[in-house]
Amino acid sequence: MQPMISLEGVSFKYNQSTEALKDVNLTIKKGEWVSILGHNGSGKSTLSKLLVGLLKASEGTIKVDGIVLNEDTVYDIRKKIGIVFQNPDNQFVGVTVRDDIAFGLENLQIERQDMIKRIDTYVKKVDMFDFINKEPSQLSGGQKQRVAIAGILAMETDVIIFDEATSMLDPKGRRMILSYMRELNKEGVTIITITHDMKETIESDRIVILKNGSVLKHGPSNDILNDKETLEKSNLELLLPLELMHHLEQHNIQNERLKKHLWQLSLNG
Amino acid sequence: MKNVVIGRYIPGHSFLYHLDPRTKIMALLILMAAAFVVDDIMHLLIGLALVIGVLLIGKISIKRVYLGLRPLMFLLIFTFVFQVLFNRQGPVLYEETLYYSPITIGLVVLTVVFWGFTKKFIRFRLLYFLLMLFTILAILSLIQEPLTFRTGAFVVHEDGLRLAFFIMVRLIIIVTLSTILTITTKPTDLNLGLEQILKPLKLVRINAEEVAMIISISLRYIPTLLDEANKIMLAQASRGVDFEEGKLKEKVVQIVSLLVPMFIISFKRSDELANAMEARSFVPGQPRTRLHVLKWKLNDSIIIVFSLTILITTIMARVLI
Repeated sequence: MQPMISLEGVSFKYNQSTEALKDVNLTIKKGEWVSILGHNGSGKSTLSKLLVGLLKASEGTIKVDGIVLNEDTVYDIRKKIGIVFQNPDNQFVGVTVRDDIAFGLENLQIERQDMIKRIDTYVKKVDMFDFINKEPSQLSGGQKQRVAIAGILAMETDVIIFDEATSMLDPKGRRMILSYMRELNKEGVTIITITHDMKETIESDRIVILKNGSVLKHGPSNDILNDKETLEKSNLELLLPLELMHHLEQHNIQNERLKKHLWQLSLNG
Repeated sequence: MKNVVIGRYIPGHSFLYHLDPRTKIMALLILMAAAFVVDDIMHLLIGLALVIGVLLIGKISIKRVYLGLRPLMFLLIFTFVFQVLFNRQGPVLYEETLYYSPITIGLVVLTVVFWGFTKKFIRFRLLYFLLMLFTILAILSLIQEPLTFRTGAFVVHEDGLRLAFFIMVRLIIIVTLSTILTITTKPTDLNLGLEQILKPLKLVRINAEEVAMIISISLRYIPTLLDEANKIMLAQASRGVDFEEGKLKEKVVQIVSLLVPMFIISFKRSDELANAMEARSFVPGQPRTRLHVLKWKLNDSIIIVFSLTILITTIMARVLI
């Protein structure tokens, strides 16, 4: 099967001396949920900007759905990938919730009747129907972020990137966004979460760890989450229940039921 | 800082609210032109009566309009007084001899100083200002004593009074009409209307859609940036900047301490916003479909025809009489 996104030897330099990304090779399958994990300055946000052509790779090729990303194809590729950014306030373009969801559709030149239908569908999907005429100043951060998601969903892209989309939200808002990711992934949308929060990566199929602009390790989530050595190398911490499990193992305390419960706990975030 | 009264939309229901914003903008321009063409006092008063009629039929509270006029009150009074005092054309209506002497001039200066210090505590400042003018006039015309070194005259000419009256009523009409527009039209609709009206500017390479997008984003970010300004003021206050008091030099430092972070934050915001917009397939200058479309109704045609009739009538009246 043709991969949804593939990167071959991608590098990016902000200026001559600092290389934000070094020779990144990565393939993401259709319908996959991949977490890109890394500390601040690891190049993870640069990666997301490269994928939608907001930045141009200095070297290497990026392919989305079989199309090579370049100046001519960037507008077509943006129709396939949506990004939810970190700051809910800085991606709210419309004066009201309805106008904001309409913004992307207006850009795609969707017919008005279609637009109204789509807005209706997706505003309900993120449970914001009661707020459809509200202005951003009347909404909480979590609500604004849900509107941002609806705005991307309405564009019906194949891939949605969540670029630290939950880092400015409270725990309740974060759980809500995570539940949308789960739901969307079930419906077949390819999801890429970019984060430094381990809790967001648990449910994803695969984790890619970035360190100083290179891929340090990648593999199935269960393996990476348990890989204490690699995580410590990239300034990340094990989830508390897993940390406890390691501790128990180190001290030869065998209790399979306890271990099972700890693993379950880490999954529930 | 959030109580910006001028140009604020107030929700309501009347025929004015259901008009197409394009109609309202065009009618405003046409009627403004008519107000400037009129040169007969009776016609002007009829115009004023019509405007008040629109307010009543449109269920707009006169108080709201007065709030819109208030910032202009000083300008209105000033032009009125200026015209009355210095326009010396036409027959004399009223004449009074003024006596200048050290005592009367001293009293005038005292009155002004007294006014300057006490006006803070008076509720009706405008009336108080007029009262001061009358007091000065009374002092100069009534106190007559040996030290007088010069006499002058306070003369009111017919043309001066007429012109002063004209300017005042015209300004009131224009401001009231524009207040009606902003009270009954949502900023977004106003923006959309302007965009449609300015479309022909494409001929001179001004893209109305882009201008409208800029206005709409500014509208959207005004509350956000005000919030930000409040936060910065609190942050700076916690570091010892006192925004309430200070001499001019200190005020400058205070304002700089607010403006510099505001600038940096706004640039950062706009950078992120531009990214978000581009990622959502926005390409400046490219055609877009629109969620909001304007619908021209029968009422709109009636209003435009009515406004045009008024304009033509005033032009005819001026040419023929």
